[in-house]
Amino acid sequence: MTKQTDVVAAPAPADVVAAVHKQLGERVTVDDGGALVVGPSNLIDVVRALRDDHGLDYLANLTAVDWLDRFEVVYHLCSSAGGAPIVLKTTTDRANPRVPSLFGIYPGADFQEREVYDMFGIRFAGHPNLKRILMWEGFAGWPLRKDWREAYFEQEHKPLTSRWPDGQFFFGEDKLTDWGSNTKLPPAYTGAEIGRPKPQEGQYVVDIDALRRGTSFGSDRLVVNMGPQHPSTHGVFQMRLVLDGETVVDLEPVMGYMHRNHEKIGERNLWLGNMPFTDRLDYIAQLGSEWGYALCVERMMGLEVPERAEYIRVIMAELNRIQSHFWSIGFLLNDLGAFFTPSLYAIEEREIVLDLFEMATGSRLMCNYMRFGGVAYDLPDAFMPLVNVLVNERMERAIDEIDAYLTNNEIVMERMKGVGVLTPELAIAYSTSGPVLRGSGVAYDVRRADPYGIYDRFDWNVVTANEGDVYARYAVRIGEMRESLKILRQALPQMPAGEILGGKKAWQVRVPAGEHYARVENPRGELGYYCVSDGKANPYRYHVRSPCFVNLTSLAEMCKGYKVADVVAILGSIDIVLGEVDR
Amino acid sequence: MDAIELGIVALKCLVIVAVLLTGFAYTTFLERKVIARMQQRLGPNRAGPFGLLQPAADGVKLIFKENITPVGVDRFVYFLAPIVSMVVAIMAFAVMPVADPITVTIGGQVREIRFQLADFNVALLYVLGITSLAVYGLVLAGWASNNKFALIGGLRSAAQMVSYELAMGVALVSVVLVVGSLSMNDIVDWQVAKGLPLIVLQPVAFGIYAITAIAETNRAPFDFPEAEQELVAGYHTEYTGMRFALFFMAEYINMITVSGLAATLFLGGHHLPFVERFTGNLPWFVDIGVFLAKVILALFLFIWIRATIPRLRYDRLMAFGWKVLLPISLANLALTAVVIAFLAR
Repeated sequence: MTKQTDVVAAPAPADVVAAVHKQLGERVTVDDGGALVVGPSNLIDVVRALRDDHGLDYLANLTAVDWLDRFEVVYHLCSSAGGAPIVLKTTTDRANPRVPSLFGIYPGADFQEREVYDMFGIRFAGHPNLKRILMWEGFAGWPLRKDWREAYFEQEHKPLTSRWPDGQFFFGEDKLTDWGSNTKLPPAYTGAEIGRPKPQEGQYVVDIDALRRGTSFGSDRLVVNMGPQHPSTHGVFQMRLVLDGETVVDLEPVMGYMHRNHEKIGERNLWLGNMPFTDRLDYIAQLGSEWGYALCVERMMGLEVPERAEYIRVIMAELNRIQSHFWSIGFLLNDLGAFFTPSLYAIEEREIVLDLFEMATGSRLMCNYMRFGGVAYDLPDAFMPLVNVLVNERMERAIDEIDAYLTNNEIVMERMKGVGVLTPELAIAYSTSGPVLRGSGVAYDVRRADPYGIYDRFDWNVVTANEGDVYARYAVRIGEMRESLKILRQALPQMPAGEILGGKKAWQVRVPAGEHYARVENPRGELGYYCVSDGKANPYRYHVRSPCFVNLTSLAEMCKGYKVADVVAILGSIDIVLGEVDR
Repeated sequence: MDAIELGIVALKCLVIVAVLLTGFAYTTFLERKVIARMQQRLGPNRAGPFGLLQPAADGVKLIFKENITPVGVDRFVYFLAPIVSMVVAIMAFAVMPVADPITVTIGGQVREIRFQLADFNVALLYVLGITSLAVYGLVLAGWASNNKFALIGGLRSAAQMVSYELAMGVALVSVVLVVGSLSMNDIVDWQVAKGLPLIVLQPVAFGIYAITAIAETNRAPFDFPEAEQELVAGYHTEYTGMRFALFFMAEYINMITVSGLAATLFLGGHHLPFVERFTGNLPWFVDIGVFLAKVILALFLFIWIRATIPRLRYDRLMAFGWKVLLPISLANLALTAVVIAFLAR
């Protein structure tokens, strides 16, 4: 059922860049940072060549940077066989920003391009469904452009004239729009963009057209909004289902209800001040999120991390992975209709890990533990004995227990096997990562494919399963918990003494100008941080490549043709955390 | 029928309703406690000793909750649906015998008092008919609510009812074939006379009845009409306060009824068929205790199943009902008929 494979080494990015440059000649240039630069008109050809001739079949990240005189769209491409990503950049002018869409080459670009459009207003020509994704359709402005100021930060100093016009305050409710909100609307906004004309008194808003689109049997289709208030969307997430009977004909994920523009806040904060915010992304895998950010900034600063800190990070991240997988398995079973029993047993184990986190970091969820060049505090004396007992005795039993009761359960197998199948090719094309990708038989794990920290010192396997269904993702999670235990068993005895924070002690870090994309394997997949520094006190650009967000791109593909009950199971198997999806 | 007899019938009605409502309240309490224990929790323990007053607190809460009527509902049907569910649930219990009849002297007249509201010769048919009506409450609620989740829930309940009730009916027919009567008392008496509970003679019918009874009461793993993870709350999504409570009551009272039916048809009713060979007929208050114990045992099984098994997929139950349960119950019926015909020769 699950097999354990090793990833073959892939060519270094510099070699790929050189080879591409040689093949494509004029059309691409290489900039100082080793990134390929291509004009928008050549983008499609170059990307196709990169994918077909150089094996860069996986679009890891897609984002943009506002350089005030131009927009730079940045792509990070890598091979599903492993290796560091190569960076591809294209620029477009700010007045009429247009870049061809990569949707036709990498379907995984779908949501990421929509996000860039949403945040920067860059139009992707050829994208089939280019509309706002995180902000709502009636939002005026492009929030991540540098000239867009967020509320209360519109000016350098308070009191802000917009809040205090002519020295008078006003109430937001005095300025309500037709939709009952006091937000700024784009000029000439009618609501037609979202198929929702201005509501009138007592009118029932129903998408009549969608209802009328019947099948050849003359049966009407039903549009069901699953969420944002729904028991099993794992938060405020919406799936717009088109149903024929109980069969899903089409599905559109709608997100952004919890959007707080993490990236804009990140660009306003100091470098170190972002660290506690990363906890709030994926609050089930908080320490992994911190590690990714720390890794990115460390590499930009060229910091060395002391041995002890590396070990502490591995221990924390792997404990984190175990508790996160426990949680996700428990709640997957909940989604299948098991009345909380598996999830409560899973939560019990999670609580113990969280207690350990609290012991070491002072907080259960919002740990704020990693620092650039190490960790914030050393482990307390009582920590090691407890974690040894947990790793060597308790966890193995707990995993065995879950495994014994669930894995071969008749109903569990019937509900999960053959549901939500994603083929390996599609899984790569949709840029999925984590258990979703490995459940489709692709042995791609950032810890092995693009090693960071000290993962190359341990003996562990990348767990995969070939079926690509919900059951395979579940099996991968069970296997990964065991592999994490294996890593922990090796790491704990080797733990060296020594300092825990390298580099020069400073209140304020100086990050040299430059950029970096660092990625870590979070329990939900590839978590990437793309930071650009201009040498100032805060990041010039701070982008989070959220695994949940990108994994959701494949949701519609997985759900089509299955039943309503399966949609819930499939969503549970992707295991989203809305804090990270919406950012 | 004189005034006293009428009074006795009225009293019985009151007792049945009171007992069922109390039974409902404490079934929910039992469920919460048992499931909590199975999930390493304590369950309700704040209201009263061991949390025993929790059902009362819940009841008070539900009574005082606002009854919200959403826009666009079919008001008459929307109000009617919970009432249909509740009335039907209570009615089904009317033919359940819970103890042997006793004779008392009232006003110089010797009267026989039966622990059963109505004893008539097609009681089983009556129960089947009445419990089938229960689905109307669900379908009407789903249809009238003007909510898509409710509509899907209502449709599911209709489809589900069609696919299991046939198997249930056929399974019970084989019981009737063995006993030769549709009267509840006859069935109980037959088991006492033979000294064998019918579960021994008809294990297949009992198995089918147990599965279909769970589906009948919309309990996990067959709780499709109200599948929380899929349909929010299914047919009662739009119901609040006491109207919701009526559906809730109906579900639990149905559980009690099908448990009582299982006890009566398969487990010897209020008798202990094998034990009573040696002890002779037990007094009426022991009868009630025996019946209660059997019902609670069945209720515990319901709760146990809910705590441990995930929900099946809706279309799989339909397939299971039509392709597995129905053929098995038909085969069981045919076999029973052949054996009886052979023995009768």
